[in-house]
Amino acid sequence: MKLLEHESKQIFQEFGIPTLKGVLITTDDDIREKLEGISYPAIVKAQVPIGSRKKRGLIREAADADECLATCKDLLGLNYEGIVVGEVLVEELATIQKEYYVSIALDTFNRQFTLITSGEGGIDIEAVSQENPEAILKEAVPIDEGISEGLCKQVLAIEEGVAEGACNEITARMGIPDALRDATIDILRKLWDITVNVDAELVEINPLALADQGLIALDGKMILDDNAAYRRPIIQELAEKKNSDLEKIAAKEGFSFVKMDGDIGILANGAGLTLALVDVLADYGLNPANFLDVGGGASADRVTKALELIFSMKPHGVLINIFGGITRCDVVAEGVVQALATFGQTPPMAIRLSGTNEKEGAEILDQAGLHVFPAFHEAAEYLKNSIQQAEADA
Amino acid sequence: MYINENSKVLVQGITGNQGSFHAKLMKAYGTKVVAGTSPGKGGQEIEGVPVFNTVAEAQAETGCDTSIVFVPAKFAYDAVTESIEAGIAMTCIITENIPVQDTVRLVEHARKQGVAIVGPNCPGILVPDRIKLGIMPGDICGPGDVALISKSGTLSYEVTKAVSDGGFGISSFLGIGGDPVRGTRMIDAIQYYMQDEDTKAIAIIGEIGGEDEERTADFIASNPAKPVVAYIAGRNAPEGKRMGHAGAIISGSSGTAAAKIAAFQEAGALVADTPWDVPVLLHKALDD
Repeated sequence: MKLLEHESKQIFQEFGIPTLKGVLITTDDDIREKLEGISYPAIVKAQVPIGSRKKRGLIREAADADECLATCKDLLGLNYEGIVVGEVLVEELATIQKEYYVSIALDTFNRQFTLITSGEGGIDIEAVSQENPEAILKEAVPIDEGISEGLCKQVLAIEEGVAEGACNEITARMGIPDALRDATIDILRKLWDITVNVDAELVEINPLALADQGLIALDGKMILDDNAAYRRPIIQELAEKKNSDLEKIAAKEGFSFVKMDGDIGILANGAGLTLALVDVLADYGLNPANFLDVGGGASADRVTKALELIFSMKPHGVLINIFGGITRCDVVAEGVVQALATFGQTPPMAIRLSGTNEKEGAEILDQAGLHVFPAFHEAAEYLKNSIQQAEADA
Repeated sequence: MYINENSKVLVQGITGNQGSFHAKLMKAYGTKVVAGTSPGKGGQEIEGVPVFNTVAEAQAETGCDTSIVFVPAKFAYDAVTESIEAGIAMTCIITENIPVQDTVRLVEHARKQGVAIVGPNCPGILVPDRIKLGIMPGDICGPGDVALISKSGTLSYEVTKAVSDGGFGISSFLGIGGDPVRGTRMIDAIQYYMQDEDTKAIAIIGEIGGEDEERTADFIASNPAKPVVAYIAGRNAPEGKRMGHAGAIISGSSGTAAAKIAAFQEAGALVADTPWDVPVLLHKALDD
């Protein structure tokens, strides 16, 4: 789960990483009232999951309260490439002397967390990694040790007894003034505390700024692990806020579900198989409205519920693909028939069944007047033709 | 890889629905399921398999050397820690939804202990007619000389069945799992099967997310010992969305199907457009 700037900053604050004084304003707020107590000049930042917000006009400066009010009104409700701004963060502008980059990120290939630092802040870290890798320092963080003296000694090959100096090595590459070394090490350790204590896959401060009042997280980004929701209330809270109604229904039923841009509903079993079907459908010029993995060993009721969810999106066609292993094709067929009985009028449908009890499943669906295909491409072809037919008839 | 017909299998979480169901199916396939564990339920028998409270007890009584884990995500860390500490040579984690930090810790601890992990969130390993350590349907393929390495479950059954219908047998089917962090990576698997005497060709079922495919392609480019056919799911997946598997997510410009397909093509592997094209390309690769 990707966090917005203000969500990340709230966690930073809880762990004692300094941020600028600010206020979050949402569409329904009395903006003038909310802005009371803010000193100017200020900066108004649209809370959207988009990079380079300043370049895109999503971060703007305001010299006084009137300009700030106007800017807030301007940004709230703005539709930027399909993403509507629902919140803005107003912060008091600080005088910045220098900017740095720090993050802790999960390196999935090397199966470890990495501490990434740079003496340049506000950078596009992906681009800099490619173009100017020497501007970035990457050090593995042993999972059981964190940002320890041991880490410093190990990765920087520093002699026994000067471990504290070794820790300073990391900040040295950032060009941090001597007076701020302890503060920087403190922030690095807090980044690790956050990583471990909220199950983060990424905690990034970019830029970490040296301002008059000391080191401050000017902008932040975090990715939290959805699988850790059961032990992290913050992940549950944010999921409740972020997920759409459709996603909430799907989550409640335990379906893997993603809303997509197209108009063809997909129901399949297995995540990889569903993903593959999205591609094959697209190759037939059919654009999926969703990704829905009903899971292994689905019952008839589960299939009915999944279809109800798909029908509620009013798709132009629906494709069902089941590979029966633990999942029984006849049980799936019963679930489909049940859903049809509830809904009556449904869009064109094509079904492909393969594996356990495929013949029994096909018989049940045949009797209900549905077309069943043994090969996926036949089902896709049929669906394409019947949608065209339905459109021609209409 | 890791197992053979003599492996003595422990089922962790054998008293649960999944554990007991698959213990039965594995036994029916011929796998030597010698023990199960379930804390507080020692002394029972499930599907004719003795149940123990701890891995250490199970090991002392039965000499089990391989484990398969069905324990729910919340308890999986402790369960796998037990098998690592007992020195079980390989632990295959079927469990889905384990927090990734738990997996990072488990992988690190296994490395220190010198034992192996497969998964999590994987269908297991099948060596046709010899051993089934997993949840895949046992009847989708027979023995042969194609090794199949896959990030996903059902999709790989589709491919395995298609490969089998295409006239091939399977030397080994290894499900490495759909999580972002894996105990056994695609590159670890391909290094093994490039050397494996029973394997003539390798099929890879990859998907969006991470860089396992790219690093595997790098290895193939410098070690082109055997033909490789790859299929990558997720060409039309949106950015930033977790597509079912925790690991199947494009972040920014990294983890795209396009990058993985290009990497395999540059490495000289044949890339299939659909799962059903895999056997067609295997014929092409092996008949040349």
